[in-house]
Amino acid sequence: MRRVVAFLGILWAGLNLIVGAFFVTGSFTATTAAKEGIAAQLALLTGGSLIGIFGALLARSSWNLFMHRTGQ
Amino acid sequence: MRAVALLIVLVGVAGGTAAGLAILAQVGTTQPFGNELSDNFVFARTIPFILATGVAFGLLGAALARNAHHTKHGHVRRFSRATVIGHWVITVGFLLALPTGVWQYLGGIIDVSAPVPLYLIYRVHYLGAAIILLSVAYFLTYWWMSGHRELLVPSGQWRHHLRGFAHELPPSLGRMVARIFRLHLGGRAATDGQFTFYETAFSFPTWTFGLGLITVTGLVKALRYVIEVPGPVLWGASTLHVAAMVLLMLKVLDHMRYVFARWPLMVAMTTTWVTDHYARTHFPGWRHRSDKSEAA
Repeated sequence: MRRVVAFLGILWAGLNLIVGAFFVTGSFTATTAAKEGIAAQLALLTGGSLIGIFGALLARSSWNLFMHRTGQ
Repeated sequence: MRAVALLIVLVGVAGGTAAGLAILAQVGTTQPFGNELSDNFVFARTIPFILATGVAFGLLGAALARNAHHTKHGHVRRFSRATVIGHWVITVGFLLALPTGVWQYLGGIIDVSAPVPLYLIYRVHYLGAAIILLSVAYFLTYWWMSGHRELLVPSGQWRHHLRGFAHELPPSLGRMVARIFRLHLGGRAATDGQFTFYETAFSFPTWTFGLGLITVTGLVKALRYVIEVPGPVLWGASTLHVAAMVLLMLKVLDHMRYVFARWPLMVAMTTTWVTDHYARTHFPGWRHRSDKSEAA
């Protein structure tokens, strides 16, 4: 059961990492954000970066669960 | 009490179903709206019934939770069945509402169309939002009626809980939190409840804020075709709705990270039980008085 949950966690983290990457690249390239101004671009950059960081943390936690290095 | 609660639920569900069917029947008739607008009307008009159904089930949950056993051999109940059911119901709501909400936003940013019509994505989003609304009403009623306040920081104890939270973080982050809140990181604070300081001082307040923000802003957006909403208010609600969406994405990631590293808590959110050993080692204060305290 742990491995199934861990796999779903890795999948969810991966999807979020992709979304985070779109947010970050969108902050530099998206015309909509550029029209709205620097605040919108910074919001995308900050949001995307945080999603990336938390996604990576979840991926690590899920990997540890997959390898049974948890359950304290 | 249980019979009364059950009766209220039956009446609530019957009324809600009848109203829902009546509203859906009107959708099928000739009307000048497109699919998106039509779905929006349906969602907006069903909101009162969704909330009422959540309240009805919350009453039932509180009535059923009263007579549950709180210990069994080698185990102690951390969550009530009502909490576990509500948790997984709202999870389904998140699974439907979050990805569709992200697509609505991200599709505009990267200027890409989905392979399915946009109104279908909105429809699934409204369905997820309806489940989340129902769950919010359910939990508020359940906690109100059952008197569970374990996840709330008691009045006057915020500094104590923040200090405990700072201790539970990695040292560098903990020192940063201590600096921000001007806390003295002396001896390690021990939790006296069934939740960690991380859960009481950080996780639950941020869940409450994120869910409250997305609910209020979502209601403003959903009701914009039913009642007149000034342009600046709608713009603010839309912006904050996206901000709340990002916050909830972060919360889901952080929540999963936290419980995956503490597998017994995952088990408790499925079976309602944690082992006596886990309770004694991780929540000594709560376990000490576990025979007197109820599952949250």
